[in-house]
Amino acid sequence: MLSGPWRRAASALRASAAGSRAVHAAGPRPAADSPGSDPASPPAAFDAALLDVLVCPLSKKPLRYEVSTNELINEELGIAYPVIDGIPNMIPQAARMIRRNKQQEEKEQE
Amino acid sequence: MAARRSRALWPLSGRGCSWALLSLRPPWGWTRPMSTEKPGADTHFGFETVSEEEKGDKVYQVFESVAKKYDVMNDSMSLGIHRIWKDLLLRKMHPFSGTKLLDVAGGTGDIAFRFLNYIKAQNQRQQQRELKSHQNLSWEEIAKWYQNSRSPLGESHVVVCDINKEMLNVGKKKAQTLGHKRGLAWVVGDAEELPFDDDKFDVYTIAFGIRNVTHIDRALQEAYRVLKPGGRFLCLEFSQVSNPIISRLYDLYSFQVIPVMGEVIAGDWKSYQYLVESIRRFPPQEEFKEMIEDAGFQKVTYESLTSGIVAIHSGFKL
Repeated sequence: MLSGPWRRAASALRASAAGSRAVHAAGPRPAADSPGSDPASPPAAFDAALLDVLVCPLSKKPLRYEVSTNELINEELGIAYPVIDGIPNMIPQAARMIRRNKQQEEKEQE
Repeated sequence: MAARRSRALWPLSGRGCSWALLSLRPPWGWTRPMSTEKPGADTHFGFETVSEEEKGDKVYQVFESVAKKYDVMNDSMSLGIHRIWKDLLLRKMHPFSGTKLLDVAGGTGDIAFRFLNYIKAQNQRQQQRELKSHQNLSWEEIAKWYQNSRSPLGESHVVVCDINKEMLNVGKKKAQTLGHKRGLAWVVGDAEELPFDDDKFDVYTIAFGIRNVTHIDRALQEAYRVLKPGGRFLCLEFSQVSNPIISRLYDLYSFQVIPVMGEVIAGDWKSYQYLVESIRRFPPQEEFKEMIEDAGFQKVTYESLTSGIVAIHSGFKL
């Protein structure tokens, strides 16, 4: 039943991985948001007070805010929800699977 | 609850047993064995029949395309009356300083901004009253007053949750224009699977959003979950008109004028056709009240406004 959204997440992941391969030589992996586009408010204007109330919609477990990738991470399920323009996107289809991403990175380095 | 149901059936029994049978069916219009997913189940999208998965996507597309013109269209379609409805909802809510509000399907932030303004106005009035009563203030009191006026919101906070990013972006820009900086948070989330912990909010509102949800019962259950004990559920939604003459005029206006307006102003006939059809598909006041009671809410009441064009349903988690 969940294979549909996960498949979509996986295909989005493959697309982003293919894109990142092109700029792989340029430097670190591009972050979820484009740095330098917000002069006034930083994209990490993510209200820490939200962390008190936010949980993963699937498992209802608390999340960890990862400053570097600007994502909310659920360690248990290995998924990360992006924070775009300071607005966290808590839709399961938008979430990124962390473990599968690691496998993809290893494939690229080979 | 059984007594309440039988009382509701009495006025219906005069119209024949078919009405009684209708009200005994599950209130959301199609039969389901349990509330677990049934793949391939159909639901309504306006007057069309679509699969449940499709409905979510189609509703998303509707709001994605109307997001930028949403407020303008609301004003023209309801002739500005939607502002009064939303003000009445706030007056019914009567929040006080320190209230934590969750506004679901809050998109462009109408309810959230009204909530913030209400609390600020209330605090200002309170401070003015305090000032009037203290004629000779010491320096300490004056300093404290300045400190309090720095945080006119206190502990109050509103989280606006919507499934559609575009609507939230519009709302966020509006917030910047209107100058609401603190006490506001925006989250993209599904009303059927809220990304919030249990027992977190004092008030849950959903204004003109619940008819777009695919599984209304799940949304109601989620509302029950995230509310604190003693918390209030408020729903502002289009409903059934009681007066037959007004009903005829309303139907005429809905089906002849609104889609045309949608085409002229927003360039989108079909979205507004969906809008008026979805209003007709939404259960009437009593039925929706029973759905809310099924989710566990108590002291459920409703108030019809503008002779039933909209209704405010209210329930408490006790």
